[in-house]
Amino acid sequence: MQTTAFVILVLNSVSLINCGSDSFTEELFIKPLYTDHIYTHFHFSTIWDTDLQTEQFKHTHLFPRALGEIIKRHNVQELHLSLTAGLWRYETWGYPITSAPPGAELWVWFKQDTENVDKNWKELANSLSGLICASLNFIDTSNSISPEYSFRPNGAVADQTLNSSYLRYSALPREIVCTENLTPWKKLLPCESKKGLASLLNSGYIYNTRYHSLSIHFRPICRDLECDVTSIEVNQYVDLVYDYLILGVRNWSIRRLFGQGILGSCPLAKSSTVYVDMSTNSSIPFDLSPEPDEFVHSIRGGYTTKFAKYRVTNETLSISVSHLENSKVLINSPPVLHANQYLTGYGQELGGIVTKLYNNHWNNLDVVVLQNIPWYVPIYLHTLKIQANGETIKPISIRYIPGKLRKRPYYVEIALRLPPRSTTSISADFEHVFLKWTEYPPDASHGFYISSSVISAMLPLTKNITGLPQGASTIADSFNRSSGSGYFVQVHTETMVVTLPTPDFSMPYNVICLACTVVALAFGPLHNITTKRLILKPESNERVVDRLKQRLFLLVNKFKLGRAERAETE
Amino acid sequence: MWISRTNKFSLSLCITPELVLRQLKRSTGKLNLNYCDNNITIHFIFSMFIMNEKNAFVLNITFLVIITVCYGYNYTDNIDDFFRNKHTNNWAVLVDTSRFWFNYRHVSNVLSIYRSVKRLGIPDSQIILMIADDMSCNPRNPRPATVFNNANQHINVYGDDVEVDYRGYEVTVENFVRLLTGRLPPGTPRSKQLLTDEGSNILVYLTGHGGDGFLKFQDSEEITSQEMADALEQMWQKQRYHELFFMIDTCQAASMYEKFYSPNILAVASSLVGEDSLSHHVDPAIGVYIIDRYTYYALEFLENVDPFSKKTIGEFLTVCPKRVCISTVGIRKDLFKRNPHDVPVTDFFGSVRPVKLLSSTSTDTNISISTTKKVISLNKSHYKYVPALISFKK
Repeated sequence: MQTTAFVILVLNSVSLINCGSDSFTEELFIKPLYTDHIYTHFHFSTIWDTDLQTEQFKHTHLFPRALGEIIKRHNVQELHLSLTAGLWRYETWGYPITSAPPGAELWVWFKQDTENVDKNWKELANSLSGLICASLNFIDTSNSISPEYSFRPNGAVADQTLNSSYLRYSALPREIVCTENLTPWKKLLPCESKKGLASLLNSGYIYNTRYHSLSIHFRPICRDLECDVTSIEVNQYVDLVYDYLILGVRNWSIRRLFGQGILGSCPLAKSSTVYVDMSTNSSIPFDLSPEPDEFVHSIRGGYTTKFAKYRVTNETLSISVSHLENSKVLINSPPVLHANQYLTGYGQELGGIVTKLYNNHWNNLDVVVLQNIPWYVPIYLHTLKIQANGETIKPISIRYIPGKLRKRPYYVEIALRLPPRSTTSISADFEHVFLKWTEYPPDASHGFYISSSVISAMLPLTKNITGLPQGASTIADSFNRSSGSGYFVQVHTETMVVTLPTPDFSMPYNVICLACTVVALAFGPLHNITTKRLILKPESNERVVDRLKQRLFLLVNKFKLGRAERAETE
Repeated sequence: MWISRTNKFSLSLCITPELVLRQLKRSTGKLNLNYCDNNITIHFIFSMFIMNEKNAFVLNITFLVIITVCYGYNYTDNIDDFFRNKHTNNWAVLVDTSRFWFNYRHVSNVLSIYRSVKRLGIPDSQIILMIADDMSCNPRNPRPATVFNNANQHINVYGDDVEVDYRGYEVTVENFVRLLTGRLPPGTPRSKQLLTDEGSNILVYLTGHGGDGFLKFQDSEEITSQEMADALEQMWQKQRYHELFFMIDTCQAASMYEKFYSPNILAVASSLVGEDSLSHHVDPAIGVYIIDRYTYYALEFLENVDPFSKKTIGEFLTVCPKRVCISTVGIRKDLFKRNPHDVPVTDFFGSVRPVKLLSSTSTDTNISISTTKKVISLNKSHYKYVPALISFKK
């Protein structure tokens, strides 16, 4: 008995050792924006010191096992998934920590030894759809592309020669996000939503926002500076933009934003912190209560940002802000790069897509524009026009794979050098396609979505940038981390709705009805004329009074007969 | 002497597959064998199989003796037990087939039932919820992430903890029939599968717009009553359910269950053929009807049921009398073997959870979590971050 217990104990400790060391960090980042909005970002990061190549995900400690199993089964190297409602306004809000397009977006790098990437991709999307209750199972080869420049691996890789055939990218612009996605998302966290910062995610409050985005990011990271071994990291974010008008007041507080205060940290978390960005404090002064534990200064890319830092302990915490002056209207100088996208043309035959890129920097800016255009909107490459301030410019490089009906989307990736202080427009014409009868969705007249373009760039300045550097897992890691090569941002444009020629679905029915009526009307007289002979009928000589008498007689007889029958049945 | 003999036989017959038993039960129609213990059934089969000239007589005699003994003994007690023992788990398939904002009430209907079954103990993993449109986070909903069943906004049926398995365009007749019959494409996640067995009690709830003999899905296709009946028969043949409670809230709802021919189905419909099912009331704040009459009263009933409640399905079938429902509630119980008044509501709306009580407990609090680092992996290679964008400066 004792020996078995000992064996079990040893086995247990082995499994614990196998588990490696893992850590969980939770952070909440609050940034009042220059407009009447406030940006909040929940940052949950789980790092597990284990090797992705050999890990079986049979036993996990803090790492979500449900996700681990999917990663293992589908040979995933790196996974990024976001579900978003609303549009991030880059021009006025600056850049978010992670950018996401409206709807769902999924991009995955598979391991180099994956045999059938397309099959894995389809099944992975299916599994994820079950994991977070979204219709990701609509992702397949007909709407996925393998971009060469735009989505390079975010994590650490052994092989420096990247082969984009192991990458798949897809977006479902019409996907909705609601509590049904948040519920399973929360269950991936070590403390779920029972304790810690995640308990603030009350659906009644967070869906009352201008923009909300859920995301899951999985990647291998360097374990130390030498980077001979890797750890795996899963980051879960929630990004919310509240509108003061919806909140009712400018003096926000944790309780007003989320319906409750912070009721203590997650006991499994290594650290639990709240950061409030104080950069708007100089122009719109506000007071924080309670006083923060400390102020952190971060110098990045020539800009200093001041953060108020609160350590969340087991006590309740509700941060509130009172503005010292009445509201002022402030205009933020627009960020270096932002973009728009819209449709042109009219009628049911031809149309066009225009993407406008705004470079507000004093120097050239290299950007990569990626467009994933569905097969039902075939674009003509010869109509592609790139104009900066009215003059045609030559792109550095263009990658283009034409689509195939029902098989493959149109993939366009353009590397461009934007001239200083310029507006560049990229336009292409497309044709409206007739779909098959069964391919129309139930609400066909709503229109068909074209997903947003993705514009990637390395910006030289950190103005308006909150994004994390590549090696960083947490917000605290990003402080004082300058980078010589620039700061990576991605801009997602608006999604577009195109009206394809939609048939009248009741038409066959109408045609059948009409045709049958016409045939019936025509057939009757024709049949009569062709089969019956016209014979003259001799005119009867009876008088009117006689005829009436006869009728009356018949009627009386009938009445008598009826009475007799009734008597019988009774 | 015969005791030892039968014992031996019963031992050898323990391996008789459940299927044979079941087939036998079916062929005999009414289960006159099951008035006694399972043992008897086994003996009976055996006598049928190995009957030869010599021992056939002895065996048949034995059988008759035992049958009579048992018949006299515990007929009344065991008939219920027999069925109840077979029931091992509960599932629910809740389907809203209507798209568009003005069909808010159908989403509210289905979520009302979802809320009840979840509260009564069926876990989310055993509830397949199909919702054809997003009402909770619809831009027209003035209170996002809520669906109310009442203009007073007492109960948010959407709740804070909800998992929708099929949503939007996924709600199609094909997916619904595939789900029921288990013919799903490879790679379908577990949460989108109905993993039932011959011990499962299933609650099937449908709501939407229907007509005589069909139910519309998303305003673009429809399932006919014959298709529905065939799907259920296929489930029965594949031993995918033990008993099935079929609820439907739609116009001319009774037409949907008329074609059923598989056993152990109890069906209830909100209206008879030729009748419309009506909605309950409108919420002026959102401008649409928010729940249908039948489901409103069903929820009212279910709100007063707890997992240990003694309320029966028989009571549940009378929740909406004509004076409040306006339509006549249709019931079909000829396929169902038990008396609905003896069936607890929790047989379909609750969940059987096998619970074992342990007499000894261990309170070992000295578990230490070792944080020793793992031995470095074998494939040692140098890793690096690649820049997020290629440099085009040349």
